[in-house]
Amino acid sequence: MKAFTLANPSTLDQAIGILAARRERGAHGRVQVLAGGQDLLTEMKEHLAEPEVLVNLKGIGGLDRIEIDAAGALSIGALATLSALEENEGVRARFPILHEAARSIGSPQIRSVGTVGGNLCQRPRCWYYRSEHAKCLKKGGTECFSYGGLNKYNAILGGGPSYIVHPSDLAPALVALDAQVVLRGSAGERTLALERFFTLPSEGSILRENVLADDELLVRVIVPAPAPGMRSTYLKFKERGSFDFALVAVALALWPDGGKIARARLVLGGVAPVPWRCAGAETALAAKTMDESVWKAAGEAALQGAEPLGHNAYKVPLAKGLIFRALQSLSRA
Amino acid sequence: MAARKSRRKEAGDVEAVSELAWPPRGDLAVLNHDLRRVDGPAKISGRARYTHDVRLPGMVYARVLTCPIPRAEVTLDLEPARKIPGVEAVIALAEGGTKWLGQPLAAVAASTPEIAEDGIRAIRVKLEPKPWAVDRAQATAEDAPKVLKDGNLSKENTSGDETEARAALTSADQSVEATYTLPVQHHVCLETHGVVVDYRGGDEATVYCSTQGTFTVPESAARELGLKASQVTTIVEHMGGGFGSKFDLGTEGAAACRLAKALGKPVHLMFSRADEFGAAGNRSGSRQVLHGGASQDGRLVALVGDIEKLGGLQGGSFPGRGPYIYSVEKSFLRVRSVYTNTDVARAMRAPGHPQASFGMESLVDELAYAIGMDPLEFRKKNLKGPVYARQLDAVAREIGWAQHPNKVAPGALKDGMGVGIGFAVSTWGGGGGEGCEVDVRIDRDGGVTASVGTQDLGTGTRTYVAAIVAEELGLPIESVTARIGDSRLGRATPSGGSTTTASLAPAVKDAAYKARTLFAERLSRAMDVPAERLRFSSGRIADERDPKRALSWKQACGELGGDGLSARGTFQPGLSSNGVHGAQAAKVRVDTLTGRVQVLKMAAMQDCGLPLNRMAIRSQIQGGMVQALSYGLLEERVIDSVSGWALNANLEDYKVAHASEIPEMVALIDDEDTRPVIGFSEAAVIPGHGAIANAVYNACGARVRDLPLTPDKVLAALGRVG
Amino acid sequence: MSRPSEADGKNPSPLSRRNFLRGAGGVATGGVLAHGLLAASRANALRGAGEVEELSGEVALALDVNGQVLTVRVEPRTTLLDALRVRCSPPLTGTKLVCDRGQCGSCTVIVDGRPAYACMLLAVDLRGKKIRTIEGLGEPGALSPLQEAFWKHDASMCGFCTPGFVMAIQACLERNPRAGLDEIKEGCAGNTCRCGTQPQIFAAALEAAQASVKGGK
Repeated sequence: MKAFTLANPSTLDQAIGILAARRERGAHGRVQVLAGGQDLLTEMKEHLAEPEVLVNLKGIGGLDRIEIDAAGALSIGALATLSALEENEGVRARFPILHEAARSIGSPQIRSVGTVGGNLCQRPRCWYYRSEHAKCLKKGGTECFSYGGLNKYNAILGGGPSYIVHPSDLAPALVALDAQVVLRGSAGERTLALERFFTLPSEGSILRENVLADDELLVRVIVPAPAPGMRSTYLKFKERGSFDFALVAVALALWPDGGKIARARLVLGGVAPVPWRCAGAETALAAKTMDESVWKAAGEAALQGAEPLGHNAYKVPLAKGLIFRALQSLSRA
Repeated sequence: MAARKSRRKEAGDVEAVSELAWPPRGDLAVLNHDLRRVDGPAKISGRARYTHDVRLPGMVYARVLTCPIPRAEVTLDLEPARKIPGVEAVIALAEGGTKWLGQPLAAVAASTPEIAEDGIRAIRVKLEPKPWAVDRAQATAEDAPKVLKDGNLSKENTSGDETEARAALTSADQSVEATYTLPVQHHVCLETHGVVVDYRGGDEATVYCSTQGTFTVPESAARELGLKASQVTTIVEHMGGGFGSKFDLGTEGAAACRLAKALGKPVHLMFSRADEFGAAGNRSGSRQVLHGGASQDGRLVALVGDIEKLGGLQGGSFPGRGPYIYSVEKSFLRVRSVYTNTDVARAMRAPGHPQASFGMESLVDELAYAIGMDPLEFRKKNLKGPVYARQLDAVAREIGWAQHPNKVAPGALKDGMGVGIGFAVSTWGGGGGEGCEVDVRIDRDGGVTASVGTQDLGTGTRTYVAAIVAEELGLPIESVTARIGDSRLGRATPSGGSTTTASLAPAVKDAAYKARTLFAERLSRAMDVPAERLRFSSGRIADERDPKRALSWKQACGELGGDGLSARGTFQPGLSSNGVHGAQAAKVRVDTLTGRVQVLKMAAMQDCGLPLNRMAIRSQIQGGMVQALSYGLLEERVIDSVSGWALNANLEDYKVAHASEIPEMVALIDDEDTRPVIGFSEAAVIPGHGAIANAVYNACGARVRDLPLTPDKVLAALGRVG
Repeated sequence: MSRPSEADGKNPSPLSRRNFLRGAGGVATGGVLAHGLLAASRANALRGAGEVEELSGEVALALDVNGQVLTVRVEPRTTLLDALRVRCSPPLTGTKLVCDRGQCGSCTVIVDGRPAYACMLLAVDLRGKKIRTIEGLGEPGALSPLQEAFWKHDASMCGFCTPGFVMAIQACLERNPRAGLDEIKEGCAGNTCRCGTQPQIFAAALEAAQASVKGGK
């Protein structure tokens, strides 16, 4: 790790004030934000990030609250730890998909320290991105080495010109729940749908995975109260059963109506540079009976348009199989 | 002086008598039981001091810089590193043409680990890439750059008669031809390779080293330090795993010696995890094109094999000559090495055998199903002798083969899920030999110490050294202190090839036996009982004819002179043997929709001669199964051949099995083996991954011939990809 | 060559978050740039909210480790792991460095009741936190019940992963004394053992869990 100055602001405004400096000077990488640090410190140890100033948010009070209001909406402070989210009884009872997603992340040690905001803002795990010597597109280079290289873990949907997959487990679950994020910067606060927070490589800056401005912080996630009767699950397929990122993950919420599905939300993780909302599959599920042919049809619809690279075609059947298993699990009990 | 003189004489007498043998198993009070490790509390409480934990006054921390590409012309500018405050020494380790990915280029010593890292980062490295070959495809391409002067392929070793074997193949009732491949695997010793060199000028040095061979270090360290081997002490109190990769001083140790010599200060140099992946060895990869034939009645009639070893800049390993373990009527094997610009493969637990086992066990399995025979029966038919049959039957019972529905073909799936069982067997030498000198000392205050410079890799050496002496002297194990891991103590062989126990245990026994005999002779006078009638048991020494004539251990020791009593033991043939067998079974569940393989249970039976510590033996067997499971399901070195970058040189991307992968495991010791002590640890790691792959086929019909057995390959084998 | 910060001489009260603990200016590489950025930031920060504490170079720090306050000198980049193993006097080397990337669990410690990777925490970020290391659990002759179970079940071979596993499972059992096999596996899912002691570790942890249930804990 390269030496740095640690700045410990005690208010959000102080933190944003420091961040504003990087906007003015166009020095994004020179000042970085430290929350739990479970990704950032790895990046610093690998010299992918070499900030001169690290703005530590942990001294700022009130950013770690998890609250469910009277209407049933959930608010999660960006500094809430993943274990706090995992263990929150209200979340467990009302948002099982979120509980399952939180629990699937990393290891107990990571979840003790890692934060919700950090999980949403973490950087890609792509082998090439993580290799210091690979000056790839995501690091200001001119090539996505995974495209023609070893891309077993890379994107099959939404890729190009970079083929990373977004590593967050919370993101697909939260998108399935129609979550919003509150961003705060020098110009004040803005709220937007989490789905719009993430950017495809072909959309936003290739150097980032989201719309956060230089002087902005993600401060809060808001999950609206789900319509009554929601059943949900987060099914994550890890190559190694413990402590691994998703090869494919399925975030599924659905509202049964008698023997039928009134409507469904289906979001995939591990397959695209953003949490991948499967509108086609949602349509394929709406107003259908819960049976195997429908589960298969949902998988087919979800993977429509998948464009595997040289080594990741297996993700297509895997994702279909996992969608089947997720629907099957919600059909039981 | 008089005492010493008489002792020597008596020792001579003892040797003349020497009727050394392990007692009948039923008579053993300590050995052949479950023993808690004598160093367990130190390790479990974090008090055990490993090389990496050594802290000395004035010590500096060193790091190495390694080459990020497989082959280059390298120029180093060390000056920027030297200018950093806190950096104390910078040395070049390689300049000019480098030959392999991960080759150490330079080393820096500094006042803190952080500054040492600043130092290696500050070195200006000019790399001019040269054409390389890092995998088989590159090394065997028509225009491949030459990895070694003589090219990229070694000479072939062949065994058997090709014409006969091919003829037998033609006339076989069924034949299978397939290519089996295994990746390059890493040892992943949790304690990385490293040393602390305590040299502050003068003519003495101490080298703390994480090594499998205490005595492999002093000579090379002395050479680097400009000392004599006798002036260098090596300390290996505890070491955090070696698995075959830790012998001698190594590049890292030599660099630390040079830094220490330059500074006159103690130097702590441990590889980082990334360094370890690049420069601490690996298990060679393997590609085996096997063509086997069987008769309809279940005989292996033919095998033709073309085998390549991928051992980087050296040969890699593959065992022996001829088919692996199984009897084949006519066989022909051709074995050669393919060289690449990667780190030299080192011995890794049963070098060559896990590779050979996977190829052969897969082929045997495929042939059994091809002729429609129960693969367990097919194995028993083609293995020599009764041992494998009884071991296979034992693990089959344990895993539930008799009740299992899929005996001669993969079973029907339920809800896309299949459950399967697979088998495999193993063999290893594990014999011992000369080279250990053990001292047993009994003090007047009752203390007993067994000393030998050997090392404990985690197998439990320290514990059985104490246990053998305790058994001989009729004491509880707690009464004996085992001192090991110090080159000032009696010499010992390095720990390789499961030879330690079979070499060391006889020497410990010999020393303990001599000490007991000497003690008995001394007590004979004091107790007025003939020495040969004195029995040592339950902490007492008693006349076997009149047990009332007895002394407690403490009382007996009080009869000794102030310098106590001591005896040196050496290897004695007859106390250990050679050649072990094992069988393993695995039960898996496969989700054919996703390719998920969950190992549900593994069972092993292993022979090992006389079990010294049953609990440690079971742990070794289970450890072997865990490693094989991890090898079979997850592990693989990944290098981008175009750019030359190591893509998974860390413990996230190089995946080692964690808790959820580990199933119920049953380790059975084959107690029908009545031979004396034999090393077996290597054998336990050989068959597990083959058994798992066979179980996957048995579950769902997916024959995966390329490890690791990841979901992409399962789905592909099921015809579900693309 | 002496570290510039040692000339600093100040020995500020380390536990106070209000203190301005900056070492001598310009110690860290890039320090001058960093200070420039921070100066700009201070102009941007709202007034009246107190100072932004800045740490660079070597700073004195008090850590609450196993109930004792240890004073160490660290850089902001010094991990808790290096602070324990290298900077503390006497060094606390029971916590092992294996991957240095939060991937193996060998450096597991318990911070305010939670398991954490010491290699993935900045020591300066742990002021006011209660840190427990393997040295604080039990010792030879007085092992904790979990450690005793590890010993009984032979759950340690080379031993290098052992302190990390013990701490991870200790944290797991403190939160859930009735943990069953699945919870125990999840509790140590972030730990690697290369010798393959996991079956024995599970057995030891289960026994410790059952003992604590019987003991009415």
